[in-house]
Amino acid sequence: MNIFVCIKQVPATETKIKINGSGTGIDTTGVKWIMSPYDEFAVEEALRLKEKNAGSTVTVFSAGPSRIAETLRTALAMGCDNAVCVDTPEEIDSFQAAKCLAEAIRKEGKPDVIFTGKQAIDDDCAQVSQLLATFLELPYATVVLNAEYGSGQITVKRETEGGTIEIIALPTPCLIAAQKGLNEPRFASLPNIMKAKKKEIKTHPMASLGVTDADRKIKLVNMQLPPAKAAGKKLAGDAAAQSKDLVKLLREEAKVL
Amino acid sequence: MATVLIYAEHKEGKVKKVTHELISEANRAGAESVVFVAGQGLDAVNKELGEMGAKRVIAAQGDAVKFYSNEAYGKLFVDAVKSTNPSVILIPATAQGKDLAPRIAALLGVGLASDCTKIQIDGEKLKATRPIYAGKAVADVEFVGPKPYMATVRPNALSVGAASPGASAAVTALSLDTGALKSTVKDVVRGATAKLDVTEANIVVSGGRAMKNSENFAILEKLSEVLPNSAVGASRAAVDAGYRPHSYQVGQTGKVVSPTLYIACGISGAIQHLAGMRTSKIIVAINKDPEAPIFQVADYGIVGDLFEVVPLLTEEFKKALG
Amino acid sequence: MAISSLVFLAVVLGATGLFAYKASILFRLAKATKGPVWSGNRMDRLAERVETFFTNVLFQKAVLKKKKAGLMHVAIFWGFMIITIETMELFAYELFPGFSLSFIGESAYATLRLIQELFTLLVLSGVGYAFYRRLVLRPEGLGKSTDAIIILSLTSGLMLALLAMRSFHILAEPNDNNAVMFASMWISGIWQSLGVTPEVASTMAAGFRWFHHLLVLGFMVYIPSSKHLHVLTAAPNTFFRKLETPKGMRKVNLEAEDATSFGAGKISDLSWKDTLDLYACTECGRCQDACPAWNTQKPLSPKALVHDLKDSLYENKLALLSGKTDEVKPILGSKITDDVIWACTSCRACESACPVFIEQTDKIYEIRRNMVLMESRFPAELQTVFKNIENNFSPWAMSPDERDKWTEGLEVRTMAQIAASGEQVEYLFWVGCAGSFDDRSKKVSKALVSILKKSGIKFAILGKEEKCTGDPARRAGNEYLAQTLIQENVNVLNNYGVKKVVTACPHCFNALKNEWKDFGIELEVIHHTQLIAELIRSGKIKPTKAVDEKVTYHDSCYIGRWNNEYNAPRTILASVPQLKVNEIEQNKSNGMCCGAGGSRMWMEEHIGTRINVKRTEQLLEAKAGVVAANCPFCITMLTDGIKTKELTDKVRVMDVAEIVDQATV
Repeated sequence: MNIFVCIKQVPATETKIKINGSGTGIDTTGVKWIMSPYDEFAVEEALRLKEKNAGSTVTVFSAGPSRIAETLRTALAMGCDNAVCVDTPEEIDSFQAAKCLAEAIRKEGKPDVIFTGKQAIDDDCAQVSQLLATFLELPYATVVLNAEYGSGQITVKRETEGGTIEIIALPTPCLIAAQKGLNEPRFASLPNIMKAKKKEIKTHPMASLGVTDADRKIKLVNMQLPPAKAAGKKLAGDAAAQSKDLVKLLREEAKVL
Repeated sequence: MATVLIYAEHKEGKVKKVTHELISEANRAGAESVVFVAGQGLDAVNKELGEMGAKRVIAAQGDAVKFYSNEAYGKLFVDAVKSTNPSVILIPATAQGKDLAPRIAALLGVGLASDCTKIQIDGEKLKATRPIYAGKAVADVEFVGPKPYMATVRPNALSVGAASPGASAAVTALSLDTGALKSTVKDVVRGATAKLDVTEANIVVSGGRAMKNSENFAILEKLSEVLPNSAVGASRAAVDAGYRPHSYQVGQTGKVVSPTLYIACGISGAIQHLAGMRTSKIIVAINKDPEAPIFQVADYGIVGDLFEVVPLLTEEFKKALG
Repeated sequence: MAISSLVFLAVVLGATGLFAYKASILFRLAKATKGPVWSGNRMDRLAERVETFFTNVLFQKAVLKKKKAGLMHVAIFWGFMIITIETMELFAYELFPGFSLSFIGESAYATLRLIQELFTLLVLSGVGYAFYRRLVLRPEGLGKSTDAIIILSLTSGLMLALLAMRSFHILAEPNDNNAVMFASMWISGIWQSLGVTPEVASTMAAGFRWFHHLLVLGFMVYIPSSKHLHVLTAAPNTFFRKLETPKGMRKVNLEAEDATSFGAGKISDLSWKDTLDLYACTECGRCQDACPAWNTQKPLSPKALVHDLKDSLYENKLALLSGKTDEVKPILGSKITDDVIWACTSCRACESACPVFIEQTDKIYEIRRNMVLMESRFPAELQTVFKNIENNFSPWAMSPDERDKWTEGLEVRTMAQIAASGEQVEYLFWVGCAGSFDDRSKKVSKALVSILKKSGIKFAILGKEEKCTGDPARRAGNEYLAQTLIQENVNVLNNYGVKKVVTACPHCFNALKNEWKDFGIELEVIHHTQLIAELIRSGKIKPTKAVDEKVTYHDSCYIGRWNNEYNAPRTILASVPQLKVNEIEQNKSNGMCCGAGGSRMWMEEHIGTRINVKRTEQLLEAKAGVVAANCPFCITMLTDGIKTKELTDKVRVMDVAEIVDQATV
């Protein structure tokens, strides 16, 4: 099987956010970069599928500036066979990212399945999976909790509100966007980490794939930290007094009821 | 007059409140609110959409679209776009909406602002504000591509206009020309609770490890019952201890919610929980420990025993809200 | 030569040959375990090694840590040594009839025979008590051992044979000099009263002499297959022991080009010293009795682990001796399971209790390294911890930017500020992750800052430049991650020229003091209790305000057993007015671990009962209102234990620094 995975490098979840000078992004000084956590589920699922189908390969793709090589190597260390990188400027939008990935994928051949994470934890757009699938004219399912692999078909369970689960049958080739709980991502062993350091990563500059600034649809501007909240007040008195007081405040002061 | 095309989401014959919010916003901006709806047996739904203030409804009705499918609904919505030529498209940031909207954006070749907490329709232009980095920052979205400008909007972010009982919208039937579909919906398994999901509720009452067991959550359910449009959530500690299933979990590894009112009962307020509710408009904390970190983010704090306070609060709310 | 002498010679040569063959296998197996020895050079400081040999082997100091069993063993051990003289005399007599040691002088020889008689009885008493202990008292640590029964039977057999031989000899060849052998004299009286003639007695004496020879030679051949091997290996194991108690984990060379494996996956990955440890084990069970994991129903018993490792060695004998390491089976299997290896809290109670200085923990942590580095085989909860340490430089999901948030409003300066201003400070206060991020531990950091300021000591912190020491990763087997962090920290410290460090966390203390020297830095590291004790002693701070409480002290493993510091905290507590200290029995080196060490703080406790609760129960026996501790993990675990017992309103846990801060102006 030809298995593809798309990943994104993002700042570590606990990074303290500082806005850059132009308000279009964060200040990346001292930021620790990681693979977006949902993408880890995608990589793990790809590897498990490979292990169940002898002779399969897993190719991992990512689009971003040169620092993303480190994250591609993490994917290689987990067990991916090949890595492809699209070199882009620091700021691109979901549309451009999806187009880069689509073109890079077209150059690599026809996949049986593409795995992605449901959203990247930096911009939280949750668009690239669907854009990519639509560009490649592949059926897709997002927020996938579980996948069962049959011949020429993958049956997935999708999570929606209130715990409701949709069960969808997708013919291959298709795209699956992983939700937390799809699997437990493996921890790369030291020998694999060492091997991954030496592997070659195929690189395409963004322009060479025909993606330009003109493809951009969205710009983020005026990025700010949320306004600091005024200090809260602790209500005095016994439980009865506190309850009365709270209801009054919520109605008259906060005006939420 | 600019046209705003809105995707209506409905469940079991009732339109979801978030649809009303989107319609209201379009109307407030003085735009023509056209609502797309797909499904089976839409008469009651179409009526409700009219009462919510929709000017027109484009309904794709039939067995073929009984279940949501991004392929079918995507194709039909694009057909509706072609026939209505909107400048702005608003879709709820629900599971369905978030799954579907980017597909439409790809098919139309336009930009999409995801999961917005604020939008401003100005003539044919759209300004949107959205949280990023799990709500640690916010940013405005500038559309630099062609129309229509798309946005998915978070439930409870926009206010609902008054309903107009008796008002009706002109309904146009859309032909079910979905084309050949590749994927098939095999089944939809309803969750154990048919109640409102925490991500969609206007008020969330959450319990932590201090609830001590699953049965005690009943007092939170009772509180939720007297509060309109509310749901019960749980911290990770409570879910791990088995007091409530994972679908209730609010937090970094659970659901991110931004209700108007979040009442945290017996929740210490560890960073991981805050990540899931910090964007709530008003936060109330009830905890025995005066030093609990939750008090640092709460607008109103009650230091006390939740088992004493919550029932009293339920009584007070009942009295006040009737 | 007489026929009997020739036969005897043949038997001796045969037995010796068989023994030598078995011993050579053991020796070659030890050579086949080629792993690196922890805590380096075991052949240095010969004078000290000779001293420890005298103290612990000849004078049995470590054995005597348990009084009754210790005295029992001293009797048997010394008896064995003394009686060997007689055994040799008898061997010589067998080869050269008529030989005796009487040439040393009549009175000297008589004294010798008296001593031998006394020790024969002493050995019999010892063996008698041993039988009683093993078969009647049945302490858990001993377990069932056919081997032990055989050994005790052989030993008593030898002693009884000697008494029989002597008593019959006395009857056969009466001699005034025999009077010293009072017991044998008395027994010979019995034979006489039974009508045994001198001729029969002579034959019986010879018979029992031969019986004794055969028992000795048989025992000798048996020794390599039994735990009695310790008679040959305990002394060298003591000689080659780690001379000081404080130690760090061995630094693995991860860059080694030819390394195919890291850590211990197979028995061949352990070192000769590890193997010698296995040979030296007497299966006394003291380690098991002391183990907090075993005492809370986890499958880890240090005694069983040593035994199972020895089995692994013998099971792979052919592969090891032929050099076919590929064919050596992995250590982990049905006997040594993952749970056994992960249950360890690295408290070293086992090592502290062991009379022959076996280092059980070295093996466990070498095995953990292999599991994590080579197989990614570890409890799932650790993956988040590893990720957090890698990405956030602390085991928690907290932003590294918040590391010095606890200093808000306190006027604590960072090394960067100090360096920029050109000043100097005496100490770097290494805060550690708990002291920086954990709400409870932040209070201890603040208390220490308060004390440092009161004493006028100039100090600074690294602030945001401080990263986790990597200790949680290192003890969880993730050497790669740990080394990354250690090296980054060492570079920062070297950059600032840091020489002296004070820290309130025993784990950080141990890492900086005993492990970082492998990474290119020499630091003088002091634990906050040591510093505070010194400040009190020198009068720089004076506890003048009364703290009217009853307090009991919990020794943390990493300050206590790991670094031998039991006194400093007690000196501090003794200096606080009106503070009454009630010690519990299980204190100092006998103290029970809180359960958080060995990276267990970061793992779920799924098996058995909770270590922290058991320890809390012990501490509650002191009926004190305050439990004093000196470690952020201990404080967390004991606080949780008190919460579990629902005694939060009656008992509180305080760090020693908090008590002192309260007691000083």
